[in-house]
Amino acid sequence: MKRLLTIAALCGPLLAQQAPAPPAPVAPAPAVTAPAPAAAPGESPVPTNDENWLTGYIDLGYRWETGVYGSLSTYRSIVDLGSGPKLLGTEFTIKNRSHRIFDQIDVRAYDWGDEPYESLHVGVRKAKLYDFSANYRNIAYYNNLPGYADPLFGTTGVILNEQSLDTRQKMSDFRLDLLPGRKIVPYLAFDRNSSTGTGVANFVSGGDEFPVVNLVSNSTNNYRGGVRIEMSRFHITLEQGGTTFEDNQQLNQTNGTTNYGNFFTPLFGQTLSATSIGEAYGVNGHSIYSKGLLTANVASWIDVYGQFLYSQPQSTVNFLESSTGNQVILSQVLFYMGEQSIISAQSKMPHTSGSLGAEIRPLRHLRVMPSWLTDRLHTAGSSIGQQNLTTATGPASIDTLLNSALATNYNQAEVNLMYDLTSKITLRGGYRYVWGDATDVILPLGGLAGLEQGKMRKNVILAGGSWRPFQKLSFNADLEHGSSGGVYFRTSLYNYDKGRVRARYQLSQSFSLMANASVLNNRDPMPGLNYDFLAHQESASIVYVPEGGKVWDFEGSYTRSTMRSNISYLDPEFLITEQSFYRDNSHTVTALFDFKSPGWLKYKTKLSLGGSALLSSGSNPTTFYQPTAKLAVTIAKNVSWISEWRYYGFDQSFYQFQSFRTQMVTTGVRISR
Amino acid sequence: MNRYFAATLLVLSPLSLAQAQKPAPAVKAPPAKASTTKATFVGSEVCGTCHEDIGKALAKSPHGAVDTSDKHGFKGQACESCHGPGSNHVESLSAADIRNPAKISPAEVDKTCLTCHRNQSTHVGRLESSHASNSISCIACHSVHGGTPGVGAPAGTTSTQAALRPLVVRKTADINTQCQGCHIDVKASFAQPFKHRVPEGAMSCVDCHNPHGSFKPGMMQMVSANEPGCYQCHGDKRGPFTFEHAPVREEGCQSCHEPHGSQNTKMLVRQDVRQVCLECHANLPTLPGQSPRVTGVVPPAFHDDLTAPRFRNCTMCHQKIHGSHIDRNLLR
Repeated sequence: MKRLLTIAALCGPLLAQQAPAPPAPVAPAPAVTAPAPAAAPGESPVPTNDENWLTGYIDLGYRWETGVYGSLSTYRSIVDLGSGPKLLGTEFTIKNRSHRIFDQIDVRAYDWGDEPYESLHVGVRKAKLYDFSANYRNIAYYNNLPGYADPLFGTTGVILNEQSLDTRQKMSDFRLDLLPGRKIVPYLAFDRNSSTGTGVANFVSGGDEFPVVNLVSNSTNNYRGGVRIEMSRFHITLEQGGTTFEDNQQLNQTNGTTNYGNFFTPLFGQTLSATSIGEAYGVNGHSIYSKGLLTANVASWIDVYGQFLYSQPQSTVNFLESSTGNQVILSQVLFYMGEQSIISAQSKMPHTSGSLGAEIRPLRHLRVMPSWLTDRLHTAGSSIGQQNLTTATGPASIDTLLNSALATNYNQAEVNLMYDLTSKITLRGGYRYVWGDATDVILPLGGLAGLEQGKMRKNVILAGGSWRPFQKLSFNADLEHGSSGGVYFRTSLYNYDKGRVRARYQLSQSFSLMANASVLNNRDPMPGLNYDFLAHQESASIVYVPEGGKVWDFEGSYTRSTMRSNISYLDPEFLITEQSFYRDNSHTVTALFDFKSPGWLKYKTKLSLGGSALLSSGSNPTTFYQPTAKLAVTIAKNVSWISEWRYYGFDQSFYQFQSFRTQMVTTGVRISR
Repeated sequence: MNRYFAATLLVLSPLSLAQAQKPAPAVKAPPAKASTTKATFVGSEVCGTCHEDIGKALAKSPHGAVDTSDKHGFKGQACESCHGPGSNHVESLSAADIRNPAKISPAEVDKTCLTCHRNQSTHVGRLESSHASNSISCIACHSVHGGTPGVGAPAGTTSTQAALRPLVVRKTADINTQCQGCHIDVKASFAQPFKHRVPEGAMSCVDCHNPHGSFKPGMMQMVSANEPGCYQCHGDKRGPFTFEHAPVREEGCQSCHEPHGSQNTKMLVRQDVRQVCLECHANLPTLPGQSPRVTGVVPPAFHDDLTAPRFRNCTMCHQKIHGSHIDRNLLR
């Protein structure tokens, strides 16, 4: 170290001989001392010959799920981990010493082996030539919650959650950046997400609904390409893309089978039933979109930025339906034994967004940030359909032609001022004006949705600040007060106050504290509405790492959250004003202890204990415990034995039938290099 | 209020006391005085002679390219591209003679970073992010020297946290750990039973949020130029639908769902679907030409059995609640 200091000290006089460098960018100063040769242009800074070409680890193991006590379908909807051999995780890096074709490949994969969430990442790069990344995720979406269906199974015969799904969602994305690090960087990307599987959906006829098997299959492909231009004074991103989309959903009930939706209470003297059902949706869509972004440092005292975004998705639909049984069109009291429907529809949604803003620094300690944005979305659709009925008096036909439009225009203008009162205190104040209008119309008028129009006007005062009394202690606060002259919905933010305070204190090298508090109070006093909403959260966390975590460390957090919502609504049958109350008062604790074996122990051991616990009361009292314990023991130079225990305990007081508890043990090995 | 105030004082006072009673360094250096000579660039190699570990870590990180590229005009001067010319510091070895972004104001840190990173694909709208307005600087999340465990990691972080301090955190679980370091309340939301699978590592916070800012509230990611990031995964809800459900377009999925987690099935904001719907659908129809204060018409009177268990979920019949291609009442 002394030698280094001496060298550094000797540099001083030598440097004094150099001409003063001009303001950046500048030509590189001549090397004064050269303990190591500089990397040549084009050479990757990553690999050196003394490093392994392959580094990483792989975790292989087996999990025993000891059995679910309680509701299996709820367990599958929330947790869904199963027994069996697993690739728990692997991460490895391949470095190419020759730098031909690639410099480095990074691979990460987690949770493979019939797991509910499998993921893979591959990254390949060569400095200054390309940067490629690919991601794949396969996520199980199982949702069959008794509480979402009829909680009183016996009352109607309905035993299925009529909106359940057992699907697999596969998402992949690929991105190639060319010439990374250069001033002009072209890029290409492709994303795909698809979902396939089965479920239960409803066939809805005039007077009843019938749960039937649902085959789900949809996919979206997204292609895009663009260029980033990164000059010293401005950056521009231009992107052009397009999507294709399809959704082929099929509902089917075989002829002659009993449907649980059959309605045995007579309606106008007849019972309703379905003996066969078939529905097929064929939805195809596509879109083009464009994106342009600009950020520029116009002068030393001003930055400006702007965005222009445009998309125009559109879809076409062909729908076929046939059913037999005894059903009714309520509005005409028309009973029929069979029906066929054919509907064709199309819609498009031009959507334009733009923003402009600036950061102006008229004085050293003052920043003024005006901004404006607009978001304009207009959907137009039409459908034409024919329904052919077989009635007791002969065939009947109903034709429909509908046109629809939804237009929403959102605008926002805002100005913020930030003033550095001292080097440790920054104050912020601002004003935001939000306005917009929305129209939703279906012609000819009728049904639930006819013509609705809304206007939005909001004045919002913003305030905040940050205070850093010393480097290890900081506070920041955000306050917002809004008052509205119009909103779209009864539960929208109307007259509201929003606040958030955060504090972070690093008491010592090994101990830090953090605390958050937030509140949202929203009121809409309109007669017949009387909306009163109050939510607040208080959180605190600590991190304690004695001696740099050599032996043990701990991190934990506690959050208390409360919510109160009162709003009036109309009972649809008698139009009597009633009250909707919602209450939530929850406590959440998370903790993680890490213990490491002392250095003299032959086998390096790390034990982690922790997990989370949620306890709530109110409208939906819930407890959810997820404790875990992990143990890793190094048994050879590159081999560790790893094991894990998990427990899940879930209970909801009002839905006891969907409580469950289970535990599972996983054991395996980690091989690393 | 007084109770909270007292509690805050109670919590903070011992901490302040502890800070005040912190033992002084064995040899307290006199206040450093900055050199008055105009500093010049010395090059990264000179910096590396003393700051060897940081120099090596930097060379391995993407910022190492600053030393080898002339794109930003700092070829061979990567260290000084952020820390400023270092000749005075080399002469005096005084911290006062070099700019340390860890000790300057967040706005100045951002200004330094944005000199180069003004508008890259992930940095769009940095100027309008709430992180920026809350004085959360770039280095709160990015370890500029990156790459080596512990190097650049703030004290007080666990060994696990320290080990995940590359320049850009890319592993899903590490991203979540980093964000939850500040957003404790959001971390608590993910302990709820019905949630997106963030704690499991199947998703990361940046799948839905762009920490550098966004056009949308909550710094929400956007896909296909200007559509909400939700449609990245939930493509079947994207539409456009012939018959839209207006709140989805006008106020977004959050009108009915708690995306971070809920005790209610399907992450709904209320325990019964009926409540979610009727809180909005409670206005009497208006005559043509009249504009109601809020939208959402009360259901027709034949919806007379909503308290029956079978019909407590309006979506039992109105199953295409996110929008329908073929039915004006969202029934199919």
